[in-house]
Amino acid sequence: MPFFKDRNCYLKNYNLSLTDKIKGFNYKLLLLVCLAVFISIGTLYSAANGEWHPWADKQFMRFLLSLGALVFASMINLRLWMKYAYVIYGISFCLLVGVMLFGHVGMGAQRWLNLGFMNLQPSELMKISLVLALARYFHGATLAEIKSIRGLIVPVLLMAFPVALILEQPDLGTGLMLVFCSGAIFFLVGVQIWKFFLVGLGAVISVPILWTFLHEYQKKRVLTFLNPENDPLGSGYHIMQSKITLGSGGLFGKGFIQSTQSRLEFIPEKQTDFIFTLIAEEFGFLGATALILLFFIIILYCFYIGMISNNYFGKILATGLGVNFALYVFINIGMVTGLLPVVGVPLPLVSYGGTAMLTLFFGFGLVQSVYINKEMVIGRNGSIDDD
Amino acid sequence: MSAPWKYEKDRIFIRRLIALLGIFFLLILVLISRVFYLQILQGDRYRLLADKNRTSIRLTLPSRGNIFDRNGVKLAENKKNFQAVLIKEEALDIQQSLENFEKIISLDEDEKLRIQKEIKRKRPFMAIRIKDGLSFSEAAALHLNAPDLMGIHIEEDLIRSYPLKETNAHLIGYVSLMNDKDLEENPDNPLADLPGYRIGRTGLENSFEESLKGTPGIRKREVNAYGRSVRVLEETPALKGESLNLTIDTRLQEIALKALGKESGSAIVMDVNTGEILAMVSSPSYDTNIFTMPVPVKVWRSLIDNEKRPLQNKALTGTYSPGSIFKLVVALAALENKVIHPHKKFYCGGKITIGNHDFHCWKHGGHGMLDLEDALMHSCDVYFYEIAQQIGAEKIIEMAKRLGLGAPVEIGIKGEREGLLPTNEWKKKRFNDSWRTGDTVNLSIGQGFLTTTPMQLAFMTAQIANGGKKIKPHLIQGMGLNEAKSLGLKQSNLNLIKRGMNKVVNYEKGTAYRSRINVNGEKMAGKTASTQVRRISKKERAKGIIKQEDLPWKYRDHGIFAAFAPVQNPRFAIVVMIEHGGGGSSSAAPVAAKILAETLKLYPKQSKR
Repeated sequence: MPFFKDRNCYLKNYNLSLTDKIKGFNYKLLLLVCLAVFISIGTLYSAANGEWHPWADKQFMRFLLSLGALVFASMINLRLWMKYAYVIYGISFCLLVGVMLFGHVGMGAQRWLNLGFMNLQPSELMKISLVLALARYFHGATLAEIKSIRGLIVPVLLMAFPVALILEQPDLGTGLMLVFCSGAIFFLVGVQIWKFFLVGLGAVISVPILWTFLHEYQKKRVLTFLNPENDPLGSGYHIMQSKITLGSGGLFGKGFIQSTQSRLEFIPEKQTDFIFTLIAEEFGFLGATALILLFFIIILYCFYIGMISNNYFGKILATGLGVNFALYVFINIGMVTGLLPVVGVPLPLVSYGGTAMLTLFFGFGLVQSVYINKEMVIGRNGSIDDD
Repeated sequence: MSAPWKYEKDRIFIRRLIALLGIFFLLILVLISRVFYLQILQGDRYRLLADKNRTSIRLTLPSRGNIFDRNGVKLAENKKNFQAVLIKEEALDIQQSLENFEKIISLDEDEKLRIQKEIKRKRPFMAIRIKDGLSFSEAAALHLNAPDLMGIHIEEDLIRSYPLKETNAHLIGYVSLMNDKDLEENPDNPLADLPGYRIGRTGLENSFEESLKGTPGIRKREVNAYGRSVRVLEETPALKGESLNLTIDTRLQEIALKALGKESGSAIVMDVNTGEILAMVSSPSYDTNIFTMPVPVKVWRSLIDNEKRPLQNKALTGTYSPGSIFKLVVALAALENKVIHPHKKFYCGGKITIGNHDFHCWKHGGHGMLDLEDALMHSCDVYFYEIAQQIGAEKIIEMAKRLGLGAPVEIGIKGEREGLLPTNEWKKKRFNDSWRTGDTVNLSIGQGFLTTTPMQLAFMTAQIANGGKKIKPHLIQGMGLNEAKSLGLKQSNLNLIKRGMNKVVNYEKGTAYRSRINVNGEKMAGKTASTQVRRISKKERAKGIIKQEDLPWKYRDHGIFAAFAPVQNPRFAIVVMIEHGGGGSSSAAPVAAKILAETLKLYPKQSKR
């Protein structure tokens, strides 16, 4: 196993040529990610009643663009990513502030920043930036620091500021994802378990206080989640219809483009957040399970790459991005199957939407970079030298 | 060189990574089992719900069955109706379209308010009714101006129409739109929710609602979540309601209504042998067509406030004291119970005294000695006071029941009144008082507690006229009795009564002599009745009775005349009832004579119906 190799066998001046990088690329992971996107395009084609327009064609263009971002991210030296981790985090944070000040209001929430050629969602960008920043921080932190309270101040603040801004937008889903993703990273680096219990306890106590800060529609969503059948024509309507769509698929499903529920507009945003129900309706339990397993394999790959990385930054980066991806999967599927409240988290790689796919691909590019540079040794402060 | 804490950091990371992977694996299992639960375990339930979602079953309105008279004249049919509807999503500027509409057809304030309300409430693709009952020319005008009326369409449907208007109002009844109360009362009527559905309210429209309304068609459509129709999956056409063929002769209806004129009353003509009702009118009448559209308040008030109660079917629901017509019952009861000899004479001195109370004959000074036939002819009260006391109230009431009084006749229209045959038990219950001789005396001339409907009197008269043959009066062809049964009355007794009735009309001293008829030798026999609607006090009687014409309308006597014709082998019975007409011989008998004469002309002896 690579991490048991003698570290001193590597050159201090570790630089790979372009051919090395292309050779070192993890094509299996790339293939799995692309497979998910092809499923997405097929489903969008079905959602539009067997038409490329209006979603499938656009999604394909975004796929090509995102693929470029992936390759770009993977070709950049991991050391460089580490060097600029805080800078990238800072830019993302500024964009978040920008969206708060000049943002575009859509769907009752202020989430987009119009850059002229595309609507940028800085909160999506922040998901990756935060992982980068935390990876950088924990790479440099000693175990003693990690286990101390003082050593956790910086990473907690790194997480808390963007979360506060995102909740202000308001975007409960993304805010929670950032919290859980950071929490998973804290767990991975070795923060004591009792601290998690303490925070959990604190959260339970502060729920009634936080409740008063929630927006009316967020409160309604949570209440609806608790008892959707109470109000089948109001907010519970989405969840009820979502379950009906999914449940009516049965074992084998109704067949490609044979959806009755989604096609007839029972499902709002069937091409975005609720796309899983459409797949489950058309391809049944078998199709839905296959898709979930595909997602799990992608998560496994990220974890595997994190495991074999020789540098701590790469470990945290790959695993953290894997966790981020996993959270998308858990929250989205949990929400459309009625296990979680509807918080507006898309199904990664599959839901129709530009920013999410672009940032996810960018994230997978970073994972590839970790894989390509898995044998690189990085010093505590990003230097070539070990201290 | 690597510091030892670095190895420790890696070791912890690997350990935690495996733990996290374990958690994620469990979460994946949770997701898969949740999907399994929804799709496999609950799959059937959700598939059912999905099907319900997908298809909407809409009923389509059947057209109502027609109603014909005995000669095939249409009394109720379905006419094309044009209505203007607005579909919001098809109009660029809804209010502008409405303004332009008003330039062509005016809308009143209530309607405008309703339309604005519906505009707010209804979904963009659903039709909002702007105005119903447009004429062809109005519809054409709207068509011409279609470019200015974006979103406004002319829809065509069928609406109930009564071409003969008020002629058959009470008989046919009318239909009208459903209101909230109807919806509550008809939870099982599948048509109730359809916007154009009109339910039978009164008359035959109400009584035969079930067979007239028809069977709704079913249109199964695929709909989306907003209820918008995507396509029609399946359609079963609506079935028209069954037609009704009546025994009524419209010509007689018109004659009867015209004969009643402005009076408040009713007239019934019945075939004495079959029980077929040839005419049944109630006056004043009204045009039933007004009810198919929402009735303007003004019109409604004028109908409700009219003291002659045009909306009431007086032939079936008017209950009156039968007056002297009841003497036929008393006479039959006396003869059948052999209380008197057919030629038994009594002396009428103008009054009799029972206890300390005087019972007067209508003729001041009395009729002298007379027998039953003459007593009927003169309608002598004292004669019947005398025999009634000998028969007893019980046997009189028994005879009344036998002849069809005191029970609904059930001609086929719901809501009929029964009238009242008073008995000892009834009086005890009602007044906590026992039956007295005075009550029997009052009963003998059809006054007091006793009430009957004109239909019951017609039924009775017909059964006396046909020689005691049991019949079933009916309005719908084929609803009569198949085999003739006897009431079990003695022919000679009936003949005596009929002779008395003949004398009433055709003898100079008879009370209805002035109304006698002769159509090709066929004459009529009958019995008059004038019933008081107020008590005449002793003081008043002493002063001399006020003439009917001098009394206010509502204090005048009711006039009733029951008759049959021809005298030999009777074919028709008639009852004419005129409220506050001022006496049977002067008000009801001439009307009956007119109607019966026309009936005999329309159905001469030779013709075999």
